[in-house]
Amino acid sequence: MVDLAVCDRCGLCLPLCPPAAIHLALSDLLVDRQTCTGCRKCVAPCPVGALAMVDA
Amino acid sequence: MPDVDLLVVGAGPAGAVAAAQAKRAAPELDVVLLERDRAVGAPVRCAEGVGDAGLREFANPDGAPWVARKISRVIFIAPDDSEVRVAERDVGWILDRTRFDAHLAAEAVAAGAELLVGTEASGMTRTPDGRWHVAVRGLRGASTYRAKVVIGADGVEAMVGRWAGLDTRVPARDMESCAQYVVQGIDFDPDAIYLQFGDAVAPGGYAWIFPKGVGIANVGLGLVALKSDGRNARQYLDAWMDRRYPNGARTGYTVGGVIVHTTVQQTYADGLLVAGDAAHMINPLSGGGIVNAMKAGRLAGCTVAAAIRAGDTSARRLAAYHHAWMELLGQDHVKYYRIKRALESVDDAFFNALARTVNAIPAERRTLGRIFAHALVQHPQLIPVAARFFI
Repeated sequence: MVDLAVCDRCGLCLPLCPPAAIHLALSDLLVDRQTCTGCRKCVAPCPVGALAMVDA
Repeated sequence: MPDVDLLVVGAGPAGAVAAAQAKRAAPELDVVLLERDRAVGAPVRCAEGVGDAGLREFANPDGAPWVARKISRVIFIAPDDSEVRVAERDVGWILDRTRFDAHLAAEAVAAGAELLVGTEASGMTRTPDGRWHVAVRGLRGASTYRAKVVIGADGVEAMVGRWAGLDTRVPARDMESCAQYVVQGIDFDPDAIYLQFGDAVAPGGYAWIFPKGVGIANVGLGLVALKSDGRNARQYLDAWMDRRYPNGARTGYTVGGVIVHTTVQQTYADGLLVAGDAAHMINPLSGGGIVNAMKAGRLAGCTVAAAIRAGDTSARRLAAYHHAWMELLGQDHVKYYRIKRALESVDDAFFNALARTVNAIPAERRTLGRIFAHALVQHPQLIPVAARFFI
């Protein structure tokens, strides 16, 4: 999930996501939960810690 | 459905120069330049440093309103806080990107391109008539542009390339996570940029102080998250700030990613090119990408203009852009990347020892070349890398 209060919409996480499950749309960051494989590659690199895995 | 010859996605340095260049090379073309943000150049996601010679190929910085500060020195700071001043002349400039990017975009408009701010591309498909249909939405509502060629200059997120089937993914070890404050009321040499290395400061990257004026600077860092102790870039930066400038006023804040890799394997497809950060054209050793983006934009604009005039916008024709880029800078980046990987094996003790050795050289004779030579003497395992680099 994305903490939108913390997320700066910088786009860093998009090229890290193997299945391209993260989208920046009209400056909102969206994670497609159908496509996300839970690989966590986006979590640590987020400069502000806005990304976290949650159990569905 | 608006019908255009060239649609450029992203009005940063790569996109703005590409649009201007295409229009200058072929004035009859309809060129549209899209910018998602409501203002070109904002928010700034950049330390704003640029080399003198590269910048002058595109714009004259002397007295320009988009320059913040001229830089004439580089000061390296070892992990133990010892400083090494390097004598160089005309090192470079710290830009005001809000004004610089707007200046480049205005040049594209002056050349005849149409600029749409607050407008983003949200997807695209290739149609049987050999055009791209690009879904666009923004201040004027939603529409679909039909374009002969699309240039993806959409920065680190690089979605245009992905939509066209190019592989623009980045391995985590080649992504620098960056955070930066604009800080006021601090004491430093306003004619120098400072770079500090060290595992406790910025593992896998470095921290920087880039002056925007006397007492005002971009203070930031980039790190590789795989090497971090669990803290994110902002937390590392807060710790560094608290130690160096506890009383500085943090008047601005930004974060972002810098891809320190080599150019994507393929920067072209039928009716499509990618340029700048979107094509991973950043110097993987320094993390600098502004001049590279402008050089790629210039190549892309020229290539596309000639291709449209010739009535052939196939991947085969547009591949000329890729080859020209690789010859211009792409091959150098492959070498820089090897050095970057080799430097990953050196530790804080190496940088501390190097600082002591280099400081024994008289200040006026301390050039980057001599520093590199001393580094090789101290760390012979770097020699194979250096040999490949200089051959």
